[in-house]
Amino acid sequence: MISLVVVAHSRPLARAALDLARQMVEDGAGPHVEIAAGLDEHTLGTDAAAVAEAIDRAHTASGGDGVLVLLDLGSAVLSAEMALELLDPGVAAAVRLSPAPLVEGLVAALVTAAAGADLASVERDSRAALRPKAEHLGTEDPTGGGPRTPGLPDAMSVELPVTGEHGLHARPAARLVSRVGAYAPATRVVVRNLTSGRGPVDALSVSAVATLDAQQGHVLLAEAQGPRAQEVLAALRDLADEGFGDLPVPAEPLADVATPVPAVSAEPGVAGSGLEAAVGPAVLLETVPDPHGVSAEDPRAEAARLAAAVEQALGQLLELGERAGRNLGEGEAEVFTAHATLLRDPEIVRTAQRLMDAGSSAAAAWSDAVTAVASAFEELADPYQRERAQDVRSVGERVLRLLLGVKEPEVLDDGVLVVDELYPALAISLDASRVHGVVTRVGGATGHGVLIAAARGIPVLTGVGARADVPAGTVIAFDARSGELAVDPGPQVRAAFEEMVEARRAEREAALHNAHLPALTTDRVRIRVKANVSSVSVARLAAGLGADGSGLVRTEAVFAQWRQAPTVEEQTEVYRALADVFDPHQVCIRTWDAGGDKPLAFIDRPTEANPFLGARGVRTFTSDPGLLLDQLEAVCRAAGGRSMRLLFPMVSTPADLRMALDLLGRAARRAGLPDPPEGLEVGIMVEVPAAALRIGHLARGLDFVSIGSNDLVQYVMAAERGNPALAPWSDHLEPAVLGLIRHVADHVPEGVPVGLCGAMAGDPDLAGLLVGLGVDELSTMAAGVPIVKQRLRSGSVAQFRELAEQALSAADAAEVRALLERSRQHLLQG
Amino acid sequence: MGSVRDDVADLTAFQSWIAETSAELDEHAGHLTELDRAIGDGDHGTNMARGFGRCAELAGEEQFPSIDAYLKKVGMTLVSTVGGASGPLYGTFFLRFAGPLAATDDAGVHALAQGLRAGVDGIVARGKAEVGDKTMYDTFAPALEAFDAAAVAGSPVAECLRACAEAADSGRDSTEPLVARKGRASYLGERSAGHLDPGASSAALLLRAAARTLA
Repeated sequence: MISLVVVAHSRPLARAALDLARQMVEDGAGPHVEIAAGLDEHTLGTDAAAVAEAIDRAHTASGGDGVLVLLDLGSAVLSAEMALELLDPGVAAAVRLSPAPLVEGLVAALVTAAAGADLASVERDSRAALRPKAEHLGTEDPTGGGPRTPGLPDAMSVELPVTGEHGLHARPAARLVSRVGAYAPATRVVVRNLTSGRGPVDALSVSAVATLDAQQGHVLLAEAQGPRAQEVLAALRDLADEGFGDLPVPAEPLADVATPVPAVSAEPGVAGSGLEAAVGPAVLLETVPDPHGVSAEDPRAEAARLAAAVEQALGQLLELGERAGRNLGEGEAEVFTAHATLLRDPEIVRTAQRLMDAGSSAAAAWSDAVTAVASAFEELADPYQRERAQDVRSVGERVLRLLLGVKEPEVLDDGVLVVDELYPALAISLDASRVHGVVTRVGGATGHGVLIAAARGIPVLTGVGARADVPAGTVIAFDARSGELAVDPGPQVRAAFEEMVEARRAEREAALHNAHLPALTTDRVRIRVKANVSSVSVARLAAGLGADGSGLVRTEAVFAQWRQAPTVEEQTEVYRALADVFDPHQVCIRTWDAGGDKPLAFIDRPTEANPFLGARGVRTFTSDPGLLLDQLEAVCRAAGGRSMRLLFPMVSTPADLRMALDLLGRAARRAGLPDPPEGLEVGIMVEVPAAALRIGHLARGLDFVSIGSNDLVQYVMAAERGNPALAPWSDHLEPAVLGLIRHVADHVPEGVPVGLCGAMAGDPDLAGLLVGLGVDELSTMAAGVPIVKQRLRSGSVAQFRELAEQALSAADAAEVRALLERSRQHLLQG
Repeated sequence: MGSVRDDVADLTAFQSWIAETSAELDEHAGHLTELDRAIGDGDHGTNMARGFGRCAELAGEEQFPSIDAYLKKVGMTLVSTVGGASGPLYGTFFLRFAGPLAATDDAGVHALAQGLRAGVDGIVARGKAEVGDKTMYDTFAPALEAFDAAAVAGSPVAECLRACAEAADSGRDSTEPLVARKGRASYLGERSAGHLDPGASSAALLLRAAARTLA
């Protein structure tokens, strides 16, 4: 049975409240109740330490069933919250603080707990305890807000707990609305937020439901009235049990996720050029004029125009959603489904109707109604929900365009699109056969819309500011690789850009044509070009682009969305799936590299002053190896009969390596094997200069080593990666970096191949240089594989060695860069 | 007052701070209680004097190995003895203040700045107040800002603390016209305007005492 704690300012008050409540149950029955009230018998106040002790005793008495804390006001709340911080987290996790009024809440909680209810039910009942009094007095709960609708008399009801991380934001709200819609209009449903007191609202209005501001942990009450009330409530209960379709874990990866690969889609208008550069006339989005100047006909005519426009917009959205789902994946398609639900929102339609009745034109009425709803979203507490205001404005604008005869963004002219910011909906709906590239005035390279465009291979140059303020039709040329932008270029500059784009196109075509052939240098030496992967779908993409296996599976990225550590079985399934995607090539599983800039929710890490110089990679597991052991066991299980490599990150000393190999031995025994599987090759990342300098000793007995160039550069140059201000010092072409790579290749024990993964491996201009330095295989992001392969085919190992010698004797990175440029011209012409 | 060497505050200095604060609160308890009677439950002065009085006795009762151990004990003592909302708020202030000072025996400008920031962040996290809510945070927010500004300008501890105390006083005064949005006073609504906030006032006393003892 759960226990209760009463926290109040006055000890006599707490005792009296408890006496009152105890009258409701038989003598001696009921839950264990602790009191933490007053500083002593007569001094008013609360004491967080005393509250913590009371909770601790109550927790013990409950045998782990949980503790509900009932509070009076003010400092009682602060002290109870503080007590939770003072308690052992294991105990605190089993405690809930009730927002119920003390007397009513205590009575309800004591009665329900005495009946043996669990913590969640007791909490719910205590919270609902104010309702009888409020109903009797005929008053509404004063905390309510948002658009309200009267409650339903004689309705049936069900409580719906909100479990999703972002609460009931627009999409789960849309799912709730569409469930209810199936039973409308004969069966009516209203919803209120029991926790915050907001509502009730019409469950058919997604905007109204979203303004309930239901956050994770809140409980909603749905009331239904009509012939199918019971059915609709059951459906809603099911939906709530599924987290309103929004349970985030585990999303990707399990093995059978089939995701379309837009960058190489054959569907017209889906795949961009993939050239990271574009030249063409500027295309601007037509802005929507202020609709308030439009004169109105009679209200019925205006209403008919609005209905027709909404209907047409719905048709467009359904088609866009269907196409996005087919070509880009279900996640992207949902943007449009959510937009469509907003269009059917009775709240917006009713508001617009009222305004038209009062003499507004359809366009002005619609615009005002949409603005009102968008503002309501913007007032919500949750930042994620606030962003949904953008969805509302976006869908509102679609209808306005139809009403005012302004072109839709998906029917743009040919050229380079110039926008302030690339929003996801636009990035999804762009026709890549017309839009050759996108230039944004604001926003970074990692915004969601930009990432979608990148996945489609559409070239995007971000954050160019006022330089993009040009009239439509002005020629724009840009290269996202170098960041160069030319506005209205002269004939020579324009010709140079066009030539560069053409050269890239030709090389890309040849590269894609030859993607599945091995990369042989002109003197017939085979260089394996592999892919860095972070999910099964990226692995499929890479295999489709001719990768010779994977040189780096970033397991921390594969499971980045997971709140809890994946089990051995779940990991085994994923590692097997990855190996099968690349069969007969090898796949290389790198163990957890949490830390630095890559936190994982299920790995606890201390706050460190310098995370990149902290406990990352294998260092994370010296005191508690549990998660690493699980992972190694999964690799041992997955490796049986498959061609697999295992890679340990951040190894800097022989002791690190010994620890890793000991754990591998233990993991193999846990998997029921005497030793790690025969076919499993074991290697280390070379990222720390110490490891590079001592590679001859460190790599003895290993099967391979892999240079992590991004980290190696930051540690050699003492320049934190990801800090743009340090870019001049984190140049991977510094001769010091190149020299260390050469050192590794020269001193690694005989027969141990040297791989390189990181940004260097993905730059086609560097491929030959790296081979010349003695690197045996490269691993890059999937999209880069064909070009890197193609470039390796353009020279001989002897030529590459000569290039490397020259680079090593260069004075600085700039000189190396000039050297590479000359070599590229030479090789491409040769 | 406290022993100060080379522009740093040591354990003795921190103990003087608490003793000085306690003395100040004893002297002003009546005034604080009056302020609280106007807009609250009229116990702020007695509550604070009781809590800090208890804290001031700690130094004579126990040997503390470090500044942070001492400040943590002060925090826990306030939590258990103040009684009103100020207990968990000031308690959290000192518990969090102790964090950045864990490795130091002599707190210089940098450590004090970090401690002060951690303490004030703790108050915000605990009380969820914003500037203008008519709470102690209206004192702490400008005080912290002034301390940081002086520290960034390279001023010695004494000057940073003086700037901090002056900003605290102005912060306290800024609460007079405000309508309370947190705590018991918020039940009064518009009627809470025209009175200084008692929590803002005791916070200013605390920081004034710091300027006299930590440097």
